[in-house]
Amino acid sequence: MAQNRRKHFFINKPLQTRFMLAVVIPLFLINLAAIAGLYFGIWSKVLETFSDEQTLNDLITASRMVEYEQARHPGAAQDFSSLSFFKQTEKLGQRQREVFKGILDETNRSLLWKFGLLLVLISWGTIFISHKIAGPFLRFSRAFHEVEKGNYRTRIFLRKLDEGHPVAQEFNDAMEKTDHLLSDLKTLSREKDAPQAVAKMQEKLSAVQTSADA
Amino acid sequence: MLKRLARIFLPVFVSAILFSPSLRAFEPSAQDRELLERIEKDTLQYFVRLSNKETGFTKDSSRPGAPSSVAATGFALAAYAIGESRGWLTPDYARSRILTTLRMLRNKTAHREGFFYHFLDNRTGKRVWGSEASSIDTALVVAGALLAAQYYPGTEIEKLAHEIYERVNWKWMMNGSDFICMGWTPEGKFLPYYWDSYNELMILVALAIGSPTFPAPERTWDRWMRPEGDYNGHKVIFASSGSLFTYQFSHAYIDFRALNDQGINYFENSREATLANREYSMSFADQYKSYSENSWGLSASVGPGGYKAYGGKPGAGLHDGTIAPYAALSSIVFTPELSTKAARFFFDNYQANLYGNFGFKDAFNLDKQWWAQEYLGIDQGITLLMLENYLNGEVVWKKFMELPAIKKWIELTGLAKRSTSVTEN
Repeated sequence: MAQNRRKHFFINKPLQTRFMLAVVIPLFLINLAAIAGLYFGIWSKVLETFSDEQTLNDLITASRMVEYEQARHPGAAQDFSSLSFFKQTEKLGQRQREVFKGILDETNRSLLWKFGLLLVLISWGTIFISHKIAGPFLRFSRAFHEVEKGNYRTRIFLRKLDEGHPVAQEFNDAMEKTDHLLSDLKTLSREKDAPQAVAKMQEKLSAVQTSADA
Repeated sequence: MLKRLARIFLPVFVSAILFSPSLRAFEPSAQDRELLERIEKDTLQYFVRLSNKETGFTKDSSRPGAPSSVAATGFALAAYAIGESRGWLTPDYARSRILTTLRMLRNKTAHREGFFYHFLDNRTGKRVWGSEASSIDTALVVAGALLAAQYYPGTEIEKLAHEIYERVNWKWMMNGSDFICMGWTPEGKFLPYYWDSYNELMILVALAIGSPTFPAPERTWDRWMRPEGDYNGHKVIFASSGSLFTYQFSHAYIDFRALNDQGINYFENSREATLANREYSMSFADQYKSYSENSWGLSASVGPGGYKAYGGKPGAGLHDGTIAPYAALSSIVFTPELSTKAARFFFDNYQANLYGNFGFKDAFNLDKQWWAQEYLGIDQGITLLMLENYLNGEVVWKKFMELPAIKKWIELTGLAKRSTSVTEN
């Protein structure tokens, strides 16, 4: 079992890279959307929950003040900070903004490393999954090369958790039959009774479909 | 630049003089007139009900928690004077409210070089929401105060109004430039925005140049850009947002019909802008349920996604199916027939959702089944003043144009004043 374990996970870089991109990017975007939705949903809810009617009115008024300014000065550059996503905070008092920004920044820092860890796990997961597909592809490729060179004794042996076992089995069965046929033909070609050998060879070859039959 | 504009707009100006319909060219039916009177009277109630009794400051919006707006307070001063003259408020009530407000503005309201902060605490007059000492909002409150002064000559009202006006250091707000800065904050000092292109700035520049104490130089009038645009054959000196209010605010107080800015007649310009704005929304009538022949008015207002500078073309033309009834109504001096029909349409079709104790609510959007639940002070103000000009013999214009400051502005800028007003013809 131990000797069957792969030491290198990047065994077919182009294939695995394509596979990773196909998996990582959608997974990343889905996670990003989910996290952003949760993030803003939670904070909006927090703002609402923490707001009594007076505060809520203040927040609505604050939003309106910003809208007034945006209407009067369209295209005005806004300073970017974590508060930029919550426009109503722009009109809160300085101290209120500082407190809210502190909470936001702490939350963002806490979420940032978790998000980074998630990204690493997704990346590692896709490498792990991709090598189970890339490995068999590599073995098939090598087997075809061997056949091309005339080695009909070649067989494909996949690891237990690799993908493509049925295809490998069919390949091996097909190669075994071909190997037997060619072995028989080779043996007959060595016989001294040439006419009898040729008749036997013709008999064996009659069951084989090739381009010469067209 | 002005000469080039003159070549283009002089024919428009001449035709405006020759063919411009007077405000009486269209006469609303008795029922429509009654409706317009009702709207004006109900709109007045916004200022009566939503101004603080102790300080006089008027809420920016009817929404709970809204601060006071200094511009809305200016409209309130005008509204009280109009209310008394129309018999809708008792003289004692109107005068005491105006006096309370002016005393507060003169003596207890936070300001910088005479410029009031955009938003104020209802009870104290202190700056709130980190707002700027605003040049346009100060101009609007000064205009309201000066109009009130014209209604009560020789009284403390007149004295206080002029003191407030004369305290404003317009030159300081220019910050060494050729334009008036939009505002100043204690934190960031002068804002990086200036009134340098056509929009509601004309009332501001007029008061600045006409100031007896700290006047802006005469060239301030000529410097701002007058971008030319065209929509559907309507040639307009246009505001970048294309919002209808930008073509209305200065006209609430100043009668531009007889003023010639080197070939440009801003009254006619606003009429063309109104027609263009209406036609722009009508061109989307198949996409938005709110838009139709009698349902128009793209202007800055609240909408389903918050407050936005909606507008037509020429201009940015931002729209999403939201109509602001105040915008159509406040163009009544420019397009009396179309605005009256719009008022009738809004009232007859949407009264349940759109009309309340203070007249029309700010906006609606049929596609999103959205109806504003609030009124905005400045939108109420422009509605009231424009209706008053239209329904009551242009009284606001007549009183305001008699102000020495306005006469000085006209004189210094060379804006030719014809001897007889178009409406008197």
